[in-house]
Amino acid sequence: MRTDRIGGSPNRVGGIGRVTGSQQYVADIRLQDALQVKLVTLDCAHARIISIDTSAAEQVPGVRLVMTAADLPQPVPRFGPQFSDRPILAVGETKYPGEPVAAVAAETKDAAEEAARLVKVEYEELPAIFSVAAALDPGAVLVQDSALRPNDPLAGTNVLREHRFGWADVEATKADLVVENTYSFPMVTHFAIEPHAFMAAPDGDGIAIWSSIQHPNWLQKIIAQILGLPLAKVRVFAPDPGGGFGGKQHAKLEPLVAFIALRTGRPARVILTLDETFQAVRRTSAEVRVRTGFMSDGTLVFQDVEADYLVGAYADIADRVVSKGSYPACGPYRVPAARIVSRSILSHTTPSTAFRGFGNPQVNWAVESNIDEGARALGIDRLEIRLRNLARKGEAFIPFDTPADGDWEQTVRRAAELIGWGTPLQPGRGRGVALGIKSGPTTGLSYATVRLLADGSVVVYAGTSDMGQGARTVFAQIAAEELGAPLEWITIVMGDTAVVPYDQQTSASRSTVLMGNAVLRACRDVQAKLRTMAARLHGIDEADIVVDRGVVRLPDRELPIIDVLKPGLGALGGELIGNGEMRKDAEPDHPLSGSAAFFEFNCTAIEADVDEGTGDIVLVRHVTVSDVGKALNPLQVTMQDEGAAIMGLGHTLMEHYIFDDKGRIRNLGAIDYRIPTSMDLPLELVSAIVENADGPGPYGSKGMSEGALLCVAPAVAAAVRDATGVVIRDLPLTPERVWRALRDRSKP
Amino acid sequence: MSEMIQTVPIELTVNGRRRALEVAVHHTLLDVLRDDLELTGTKECCLVGECGACTVSLDGRIVDSCLVLAVEADGAQVTTVEGLAAVDGHLSPLQQAFLDKGAVQCGFCIPGQLLSAQALLAENPHPTVPEIQEGLAGNLCRCACYQQITEAVLATAEGADR
Amino acid sequence: MHTFAYARPTTLAEAVALLETHGPDARLLAGGTDLIIRLRNGTLTPVVVVDLKRIPELCLAIHEDGGRLVISATTVMTDIAANELVRRHFPALAESAAVVGSVQIRNRATLAGNVCNASPAADTAPSLLVYDATVVAEGPGGTRRILVDDFFVRSGVTTLARGELVTAIELPLPARKMGAVHVRRTRRRGHDLASVTLCCGVDDAGVTRIAYGSVGPRPVLVVDESGALADPAAPDEAKALIFERMFADASPSTRSMRASPEYRLAMLRVLGARALRTAIDRLAQG
Repeated sequence: MRTDRIGGSPNRVGGIGRVTGSQQYVADIRLQDALQVKLVTLDCAHARIISIDTSAAEQVPGVRLVMTAADLPQPVPRFGPQFSDRPILAVGETKYPGEPVAAVAAETKDAAEEAARLVKVEYEELPAIFSVAAALDPGAVLVQDSALRPNDPLAGTNVLREHRFGWADVEATKADLVVENTYSFPMVTHFAIEPHAFMAAPDGDGIAIWSSIQHPNWLQKIIAQILGLPLAKVRVFAPDPGGGFGGKQHAKLEPLVAFIALRTGRPARVILTLDETFQAVRRTSAEVRVRTGFMSDGTLVFQDVEADYLVGAYADIADRVVSKGSYPACGPYRVPAARIVSRSILSHTTPSTAFRGFGNPQVNWAVESNIDEGARALGIDRLEIRLRNLARKGEAFIPFDTPADGDWEQTVRRAAELIGWGTPLQPGRGRGVALGIKSGPTTGLSYATVRLLADGSVVVYAGTSDMGQGARTVFAQIAAEELGAPLEWITIVMGDTAVVPYDQQTSASRSTVLMGNAVLRACRDVQAKLRTMAARLHGIDEADIVVDRGVVRLPDRELPIIDVLKPGLGALGGELIGNGEMRKDAEPDHPLSGSAAFFEFNCTAIEADVDEGTGDIVLVRHVTVSDVGKALNPLQVTMQDEGAAIMGLGHTLMEHYIFDDKGRIRNLGAIDYRIPTSMDLPLELVSAIVENADGPGPYGSKGMSEGALLCVAPAVAAAVRDATGVVIRDLPLTPERVWRALRDRSKP
Repeated sequence: MSEMIQTVPIELTVNGRRRALEVAVHHTLLDVLRDDLELTGTKECCLVGECGACTVSLDGRIVDSCLVLAVEADGAQVTTVEGLAAVDGHLSPLQQAFLDKGAVQCGFCIPGQLLSAQALLAENPHPTVPEIQEGLAGNLCRCACYQQITEAVLATAEGADR
Repeated sequence: MHTFAYARPTTLAEAVALLETHGPDARLLAGGTDLIIRLRNGTLTPVVVVDLKRIPELCLAIHEDGGRLVISATTVMTDIAANELVRRHFPALAESAAVVGSVQIRNRATLAGNVCNASPAADTAPSLLVYDATVVAEGPGGTRRILVDDFFVRSGVTTLARGELVTAIELPLPARKMGAVHVRRTRRRGHDLASVTLCCGVDDAGVTRIAYGSVGPRPVLVVDESGALADPAAPDEAKALIFERMFADASPSTRSMRASPEYRLAMLRVLGARALRTAIDRLAQG
């Protein structure tokens, strides 16, 4: 099989620019006459703004504008993907550490920085809420003005939304054993190596925006709404982000920089520092109480889950994280009765947003740990108990939702084989296993256009954001497969809303399935036109012609596409244009407005040693297996799975925000916020995939890249318990935390 | 009253080409490479010498350019990612190995990784896996391509033998 | 960052004069791996930054001189960790230099800078203490030699007088055979600032020297001359008692976010015991 085609692992399209440094991320793009923007923020979590004196700042040579909320249209426009709650600049109060109160635009970065230092903000520090308990305290101050939530029965509380899912009657269900525990999942941040970057420039009678955004069309819509412009006059350039992981999905500072550009008549540029990104985006943290009912043979009879997710001061997409993440909380199992109550709770913290796993890692940490405990209490092998309850392919394990869409047992058995489950262990060593699912997109809409040019080369327009997952390469492979062009003859155009047709978003591991199918259909559209052309040229009925994988099959022979295209286009030349659309409509009656297009299923197994003197966990072997349908590019699949696994080690072993008693983040920046380095890998990391071509994507593919993160924490904790007997229900499992648990275990 | 910025003339060789320019004393080598010389291949991220996205080679040693004042590089030889490929655009064996082994995802850390890997191989033509991991530990990759990056370095080392 | 005046003296006398004139308004620049960070975050706002790297007397690398190993002020960690003489005579110093940050940091960070920074967590401090290193300072009053143990006061503070700068660190070539090791506690295996640093050296006269850092305002040296620690056959309980005495003055900060005081104190004992075993083994191996 040619390596360019589906199932091959051709080199990454766009890779050359990345290894030569010629690829332009937003921060690398020079706009002539651009003003450099620096944000003014307060060193506290929550404050009442008394006054802002910009006079000294305005005197700095080179400063063109010092903008505060007072300089914006009144009332200050608010935006957000779920609720229009976030003001363009802080209004009256700052609600989270790092919320911008002013912005300086100047000719140079130095001038902007100096002026930003000279903006005098008089403020009164107010008590900050940064825990679930504090937020739920009846005496707690309201994070969000209840006037922003009219007709909302919860408006007088810090509970933004409460979601209830489930089936049957948990209370009435008898169980031989009930395991009940509370688990916590920490606040962590995306730490993409490219900090968020935003630029805006007046563009004729409209505006152009450059952003490291994952959802260019969604951003276009937000900007158009805020500025009162038609969509056609808002052009969003979305260069490949340097890592997104969900943290770049939704608008952050683009509205601000747009106003600065329009006010000054010049391009404006703001690039966040890494520290500012920690203040701008994070994962939703959670406290999860789980009651799991088992029969004595290990059969699950109920799951009763209460998940309190702490979202930030503005909702961003966090409430969707909560609902979508908690909805499949029962996991990939057959569970006769379930009750899931999840809440998004506001706090004076960094707005939490989407982050790889989208609310599932938090509940999976709790639910899988509980299953482990149940297995131990019942004396049943921890792998066996999972297999016993695992939903079979086609089973409606979540009533009225997408049935189990894979042979999940196969994935589990492969992981068990790779870890050597059941084989003798060295003394002091432990093993753990965990399963998990994450729902793919519940709605979606992607358009693609494919142009087959006169010489057989191809241009594909696809609005997906390639932030490292390799979407561009996969779409090129699809075009190569369908139209027979080698990869070097295919150009993929992304990231410009003036040129590329609509794509709803890049998230939920959807792009291979949704945009991939759109690209495939666009190719098929071109193939249909080729069929018509061939019929005309050869005087044959269209019905007797097949165009398939780069070849035109006539009744008596086969021709490469170019041999139909060239004569077909004739002396005038031209091209063939194909359009494709992939749509997944909303289902209004569904609790999430739509069932999952597919599930990402993963099984992770860990073998670990624990240094009982220091609490260090040594991961001897980390196995991760995912059910992917079809690996369109096996190397890229491996890279995504291993990358997700290592990212999962972050929140499992070392990542967390550390607060002071006033809600300020103490460990802002790279020195004290630890992420895995090359030296923090498991001694052996093994990934594998199961391919049964049973996905809804092109050639039977499914989405992937979040699954391998889901199961890391519970598998590691289970291995630690297996090795030492200690149970830890809070993450991260830092050496100090493990040491404490070991020490407390020995106490009488 | 705004600060008076002292500027200093410096001369340095970047990717084999002599450059003479006036730099502000408080601007780092990273600032000057990106803003004054328009070599944007070297990236800005943590600014505290932890992430390695700004790694360049300075007089034959890799450094975090965010922690070097431009004035300190006066008279120095600097190599950035733009200097790795041949003049005709032919990728170096290391760059090619990064592509072939799938060591590149979002790409933002890659310029730094390449400089560090090149320095490692110059010093240690046959590194073991732990030596590669340690040699490149100063380059964070959030996409976590570490295994593939290691393989790319190993492949380059093996390739150099032939 | 705020701007500053930049001076690049080419003689020691010039550098001393600048320091004498400006006092605390001058900051020295060698590797810059601490200074540049503080300039950028505004915790330091010097009037003048004095770059030492063009002063020939400070660029004498590593050499032997009259029974001492002399490490010149601009010598970087990479070179110290790789140096044949350091590895032979002062292996724990080589080990500690090898874990300061990443390769990129080690290619810039200087030993002198690490010492003058006087962080209680400075990785090189414990081994310098164990090896009885001396700081050589040059100032308006001439040359001074200060034992490293007399050099550290507390975090960020040394006994350097106004106008003085460190020109070299000297280590007396060992008179006796010693087995020594540098160990530390970090939050991950990748490069990290230490939450406990410790160096243990055992010599063939049975003297055990332990220096530890990051458990108090400055690194501390304690010595056991009883021979009990150095004796591989002595029971663990006896050693534990001696450790208690040696670590009695450890006073970890309650405000650190890297590790709690409790954990640090416990790790001091764990690391101490492990380092002692390694030091004894290394002494035996010669």
